[in-house]
Amino acid sequence: MSTPITHTSFPPKPSPSPSPSPPPPSKSKSKSKSTIFTPGKIYPLALLLRLTLLLYGTYQDAHSALKYTDIDYLVFTDAARFTAAGGSPYDRATYRYTPLLAWVLLPTTWTGAGWFAFGKVLFAAADVVAGWLLARTLAVHQGMAPARALRYASVWLLNPMVANISTRGSSEGVLGLLTAGVVYLVLGRGIGRVIAAGIVLGVGVHVKIYPFVYGVSVLLFLDGHRHPNQKNQKRGFLHRLRNEITPSRLTFTASALLTFLGLNALMYHHYGRDFLQHTFLHHLTRVDHRHNFSVYASLLYDSAAATATAAVRIESWAFLPQLLLSVLVIPFALAKRSLPGAMLAQTFAFVAFNKVCTSQYFLWYLIFLPLYLPYSSFLRKPRLGVGALGAWVVAQALWLQQGYNLEFLGLSTFVPGLFVASLGFFAVNVWILGVIVQDVGGLEAGGGGY
Amino acid sequence: MTPPIKRRTTYLQDPATPFDPSQARLLPQALEIRNLHSAKQERWTVSVEELLGGGGAEGWDAEVRELLGSGVERLSVRWASGDAAAGAGGAVTPFASRVSGGLHKSFTRSSASSEYQFYSPLASLEGLVGFVREKVCTVAGKEGAGAEAERCRRQARELLAADSVDLAYDAESRNLVVSAFWADAPGGEGWTEDLHAPAAGSKGKMEVGLLGAERTADPEEIKMGGLLGVVGEDEKLKPTLFSFASRHHALPRDAVFSVGFPLPTGLHPTMTISLSPAALQPPDATCALHTYLTLPSYLFGDKYQLGTEDLLFLDSHHLVKLHSVTGETDLEAPDWSVSQWGSNWLLEVATPPEDQSPEKWNVTIPLHLRYLAPSESGYRSVEVPWPVVFWACAASEESKMHFNPFDRVNLGWERLFAPQTIFYQVNPAAEQGRLVEEISVPVLKENGLFNSRTIEFGTVIAIVLGSLWVLWKLGAVMRSSGARTRVESQKKSQ
Repeated sequence: MSTPITHTSFPPKPSPSPSPSPPPPSKSKSKSKSTIFTPGKIYPLALLLRLTLLLYGTYQDAHSALKYTDIDYLVFTDAARFTAAGGSPYDRATYRYTPLLAWVLLPTTWTGAGWFAFGKVLFAAADVVAGWLLARTLAVHQGMAPARALRYASVWLLNPMVANISTRGSSEGVLGLLTAGVVYLVLGRGIGRVIAAGIVLGVGVHVKIYPFVYGVSVLLFLDGHRHPNQKNQKRGFLHRLRNEITPSRLTFTASALLTFLGLNALMYHHYGRDFLQHTFLHHLTRVDHRHNFSVYASLLYDSAAATATAAVRIESWAFLPQLLLSVLVIPFALAKRSLPGAMLAQTFAFVAFNKVCTSQYFLWYLIFLPLYLPYSSFLRKPRLGVGALGAWVVAQALWLQQGYNLEFLGLSTFVPGLFVASLGFFAVNVWILGVIVQDVGGLEAGGGGY
Repeated sequence: MTPPIKRRTTYLQDPATPFDPSQARLLPQALEIRNLHSAKQERWTVSVEELLGGGGAEGWDAEVRELLGSGVERLSVRWASGDAAAGAGGAVTPFASRVSGGLHKSFTRSSASSEYQFYSPLASLEGLVGFVREKVCTVAGKEGAGAEAERCRRQARELLAADSVDLAYDAESRNLVVSAFWADAPGGEGWTEDLHAPAAGSKGKMEVGLLGAERTADPEEIKMGGLLGVVGEDEKLKPTLFSFASRHHALPRDAVFSVGFPLPTGLHPTMTISLSPAALQPPDATCALHTYLTLPSYLFGDKYQLGTEDLLFLDSHHLVKLHSVTGETDLEAPDWSVSQWGSNWLLEVATPPEDQSPEKWNVTIPLHLRYLAPSESGYRSVEVPWPVVFWACAASEESKMHFNPFDRVNLGWERLFAPQTIFYQVNPAAEQGRLVEEISVPVLKENGLFNSRTIEFGTVIAIVLGSLWVLWKLGAVMRSSGARTRVESQKKSQ
């Protein structure tokens, strides 16, 4: 869909199925030599997939008025052009990102045939590196056999949706790299890695805000497996709290905060209020009244249009359940059992309870699937897995049909159509989240590198 | 006392229409017009000082005085009828220029360099006419000149049938000029009216012209012939023939365009401008075909989409280039939160390749609708005025178009071109009788079962149940881990 006004959230793009069903765990223990899950095959395949899509996209763009390139990519590259000309990326309307992105994409403004695609190549490369980190995490921290690790990583590496989004020029895949990086570094332990993890998280929060929820999980996970000292338990609350402040937690907090604040200060220095407004304040204050997958969409439209101010504006409390789950309860319940498991549940909750939801957001949790699937009941009980995937796809399809009827046929499907469809999609998401919580909760605290 | 008004009345007859001298009889104090089939332009010029004088501090005149005293450099208010009958006979030379139907206002202040614009899709001038009849005409008739007040009311009522009404003011001349144009007399019987000389001793003037346009060798020029006279001064109407370079020109009657929005319009209506083969013939080699859109706030273009240089996109819509966009261009805001009236778009459009001559040539302009407030039916109807379509051609350096006594400037679109540009208007051809399209916009339906309460309630229930479900699952995890910890610590203490 290349409608022009879709950059930020609208309409949610129809997405292919979220992921190819993960390969079943090999039943035969015989080491089959003919497996394709070797680094020599999977990575070239992942690259080939992206290269094919890139070339195909270039062809479509050059031969059809309907473009393969995402409208967001035009926003990024326009912003880079403004920047290259000595202006501000915020001179481009609807540029709501960190200036870092425009800076990184400066080569797209260079003359020469291929340079325009520089960003897409970068995003696609980030994807593949993220997949490599996933495979490393599985092999190194969860002790998985390399072939099996690659098989799970392929859920990301060979996922057509992931490759499609990146090669169309959407930057969401970069967030995948940053989150996979945080997981890999934190699980790796060692003070150097803790610092590096803080830096990566700081960049992530600067780029897209939402990764801040991971900070809580990482803090709880770091030094989370020390045996509680019997004496301490009898001491006062303050003493116990002080005991929770450990060097690695402090280091992580400091490096994440310094990175985040440093980048913000740098950007503020360059672009002033524009930067604050478009990168942060806009996202905090926006009332996205246009239809999207979020369960809040109908309410937001209704109350935004209402002239009379209601006594209680429900939507202004929407952050409460969202943050209660994703920042507080989920990390405390799950982070010590599995860092990536907790992060997956956090992201899932964050997206499901968000006031705005488009299909690009699904990529935010897709990155964690390879780390979760090995112990997921969706794989252990194939009927459950197929059922969940089916329900997720069908709920989305029902919504998309209503959205199509509204957007292209001009039918008034806001109620009951879109409203009920978004309630249904929300229900499916919450159910899946429940299963994920159960699965992650079933792991032993501190058990391996899960 | 009545302010001195210079009035100029021009009747424009098609040379083919029969004319008998008895249809325009000049008396010492009046001109009698009888059953005259013609177009007509009225123009009233009045000095602002004399109109408003030093009157009281209240009332409409005080308001206008305050407005014009606040540093307004140029003010123009234009209204054009959305009625298709206006253009049915093709444009009338020399009044060929057009603006989209509705009310257009623009002004500049001496303190700011920018121009302020406003548009509203006003269908009728009833409000203005009522105001003039109630307030303005009573001022004109203050000194017991009941007949004058009555004449004023009559003229005001005539405005209801006008095809366009312009009001212009500029600080340099301090003159307020109101002009109105009728393509034909209302009622079909021709014009029957008496034009009276101004009251004795008044500085007013009553000029009359009965004119017809004639062909000239120079396409940039318009030649007019007929009778001219000043009522109350001249003893008879004098024959005249004069010519001038004109900015605006008419195209033949078969050079037409029509506008539509193919169904379903959805939330992304496509404005389709269909042009007849005659409309696609450039008047000369320097010409380029343009369209100027006036879009109310609920409908908008994406300046990045339309401003693209991608030839595949432009060609597929038969567009050449977006030259100018002013007004509200926000891409996301709903209609209730945009601050401006809407937007204007000047687009150069493509013509068929020379080796082709299609029956119909469609130019398509992809547009988008803003969200509108909920309604009971789930739909809201909005009106979109037809754009103007014209050829813009380079004029020769020496033509002096401001000598044209019928010149019309500050139309919004003409100043986007170089001063030496002449325009040929393509005639709008509406089958449904109106130069306005209606679009049905889907909105949130609020009636019966589905209202704000249901949506609030449903959303809150979903969020609460969803949260409780996840919290319950998380609680189960925490309980089991608590039990495990207790078991472990018991083991240790044993």
